[in-house]
Amino acid sequence: MTQAVRTGARAPATDRFTLARLLRAREAGVFIALLVMCLFLSFATDGFLTSLNLLNVGRQVSLLGIMAVGMTFVLIAGEVDLSVGSTYALSGLATGMLIIAGWALLPAICAGLLTGIVIGLINGMLSTYGRLPSLIATLGMLSIVRGAALILTNGQPVTVNARNGALPDVLASFGFMGQGYLFSVIPMQLVFFVIVAALAWLVLSFSNFGFRVYAVGGSAKAARVSGISVNKVKISAFILMGVLAAFAGILGLAFLPSSQAGRTGLGLELDVIAATIVGGASLSGGEGTILGTILGVLIIGVMRNGLVLMGVSPFVQELMIGLVIIIAVGIDKWSTRRTG
Amino acid sequence: MTEQQTPAPIVEISGLTKRFPGVLALDRISVAFRPGEVHAVIGENGAGKSTLMNILAGDLQPDGGEIRIDGKPATVPSPLASRAAGITVVYQELALCPTLSIAENIMMSDMAARSVVSLVPRDEMRRQARAALTRLGMGTLDPDTKVSRLSVAEMQLVEIAGAIRQRARVLVLDEPNSALSKRESDRLFDIVKQLRAEGVTVIYVSHHLKEVLDLADRITVMRDGRTIETMDNDGLSEDRLIRAMVGRELDTTAQWSLQPQARSHEAPVVLSVEKLTAPGLDEVSFHARAGEILGIGGLPDSGKDMLGEALFGLCGREGRVTIDGKELRGGDPQASLRNGMALVPADRRGAGALLTMSVANNVVSASLPRFSMAGFMRRGAVRREARAQVARLDARISHLGQKLGTLSGGNQQKIILGRSLVTNPRVLVLHEPTRGVDVGAKAEIYAILRGIAGEGVAVVMISSEIPELIMNAERVLVLRNGRVSGELTGAGINEEAILARAMAS
Repeated sequence: MTQAVRTGARAPATDRFTLARLLRAREAGVFIALLVMCLFLSFATDGFLTSLNLLNVGRQVSLLGIMAVGMTFVLIAGEVDLSVGSTYALSGLATGMLIIAGWALLPAICAGLLTGIVIGLINGMLSTYGRLPSLIATLGMLSIVRGAALILTNGQPVTVNARNGALPDVLASFGFMGQGYLFSVIPMQLVFFVIVAALAWLVLSFSNFGFRVYAVGGSAKAARVSGISVNKVKISAFILMGVLAAFAGILGLAFLPSSQAGRTGLGLELDVIAATIVGGASLSGGEGTILGTILGVLIIGVMRNGLVLMGVSPFVQELMIGLVIIIAVGIDKWSTRRTG
Repeated sequence: MTEQQTPAPIVEISGLTKRFPGVLALDRISVAFRPGEVHAVIGENGAGKSTLMNILAGDLQPDGGEIRIDGKPATVPSPLASRAAGITVVYQELALCPTLSIAENIMMSDMAARSVVSLVPRDEMRRQARAALTRLGMGTLDPDTKVSRLSVAEMQLVEIAGAIRQRARVLVLDEPNSALSKRESDRLFDIVKQLRAEGVTVIYVSHHLKEVLDLADRITVMRDGRTIETMDNDGLSEDRLIRAMVGRELDTTAQWSLQPQARSHEAPVVLSVEKLTAPGLDEVSFHARAGEILGIGGLPDSGKDMLGEALFGLCGREGRVTIDGKELRGGDPQASLRNGMALVPADRRGAGALLTMSVANNVVSASLPRFSMAGFMRRGAVRREARAQVARLDARISHLGQKLGTLSGGNQQKIILGRSLVTNPRVLVLHEPTRGVDVGAKAEIYAILRGIAGEGVAVVMISSEIPELIMNAERVLVLRNGRVSGELTGAGINEEAILARAMAS
């Protein structure tokens, strides 16, 4: 905080919508970084700036993006959810096993989503009424849910195909969800991501519930004395996260119809949190936007894609992703230190 | 006001009791708040004021007794119920979302009352917030400004604006001006008077007796969880209030009147500061002699609040600071400690105290090398030293292993003082030595400081409380705009002289 503000001088009262303000927005930095990256790749590689490749990037980031949207709610509410990778695995496996057992598509998907709801509810209850820090509660759930998936499948891979008992029309629709294209061009996964992100943006920016999420994360006390039920809001955020992780897991299985409880979605929670944080959400709550999260997800997706196109080894990719996280969040912190 | 005209109380409390583990925080207290009055509640720390306000706010539930609102028995089971009854508490630690805008904060209760699936009415929020701000004379503030960008005073006013918007009939201000400058508190008082004129009951919790006397219609004194008496503010004096608060006479002027100064006049200069320049400070020069208490006064933005940190080396600086002729390197608190300077910072919780550690560990934490051997703590020596300091400072603790955070403000301050003394300082710098400390403990701390000075230590007391300077300092330096604007000695030290040098432009 500057000296002037501390001593009571007024911040400029004309905080209008100007270019300067636009550039000051948290998303601006991430957007510029993404732009620079895209420009660089357009010149450095032949394959980057093609509609096919860009749509491919879109598909690749969709599942991560759907989960990051949920994580945005959780982080803004001042909590964190480490169990999403396990939820991703369990929900996909549950849906897959039910399809193999001959269930129709919709009930099987609903059952998969239900596992996400239950996990989110448990996470939320433990972190609020259970008074556990969500870091601890969801760390426990990470293991519990993974364990449940292993027990459920006895550690064996689950492959969704007709030979294993899936009904042909169910199999076709399920496959379309994961592998299909809308109008033969747009990957269905990307369509789902866009729908989820758009709905989430509307809820977070314009609805009373979205307001409450920001209020609860900004100051739980202020929210409480205003009459907002802090616990309900947090539990809702966890449930939303659970549902979206489950949905991503189901889509993941639809894309790659074989899954193994011991491997699917392992460590995914860290990618999700990283993308959300790069997009400007704060681990201390109260800050973050869907737009920022989308940009964060895209940065990681474009980066992975670009490194592959440039023929960089996957080991170096991993290292670069880590650098991006530190630099992206660092730029934010270092610049606020200077100005705020 | 005659009996017949006395209006029926809006909130009436009778026999209210609240027990915490091991403490009876409220012991059958009774008090009535009337519509349209400013009702001050005063008392030492731990008297039960905060507990009472938390019960009114719905944050705590009483164990017994009755609350009547508008004459009808009522319960306040939640903050929401409290606000629904027209009661709003503006806390000392503000209940605002720093990440949200002014408008969003002011309208938060409205939002909570609406359906969770409704839309956020941005324009209406902005309009309503602007109206509420205008009513407080803050119409120039943009309702879209993030609260984190406001000054503490503005934040407080935003919270009050939120309260007014909800048509609060009872507004509780808990230590509202501990963070405000003179001008800002004047503004607050105008607002309080305006609200009273509009029929709002203002419950005003404060340590500042002068303000209470200026502002309040009636004053309730609390002590040890009881309401001692409620007085009409008619010909009351500060002495009268202090008497009620401490339950005994406490002569604030005679007891600590100035001592002969001849001795320290001739004593050698220990601390010498030449052209000290640091954030908020501009070529400040002064010296302090062995055995003297040097007071430093000034307004909140005068630079005095930076002086302690700059002297101790917590921030970068230019200029020379020497102790016994030896120059201290800037930006190196370790060197300051080694060379005989100790600092008792103003922000006890943030900077001074290890609240989660024991009393004994706090006492030795600034002199670890002396109390360790081959990397291990010498527990016996630690306990001996801690016991000696606790006894010397008359700190009231249950045992040496007690966590510092569980002590009262006054006792915490004594332990922090003890920690400084263990370093055997030649110069002891204190910043707001009695902030958040109750009246009784204040007097004890003053006596301790005099004792320390008597042993030949140069004591530099930086304080916003002018009476504190007058009572204790043999010499007072007044800062303004980062520079020394005056030096007062002996009989020249009085409130008018200090204020004149602090405020004149």
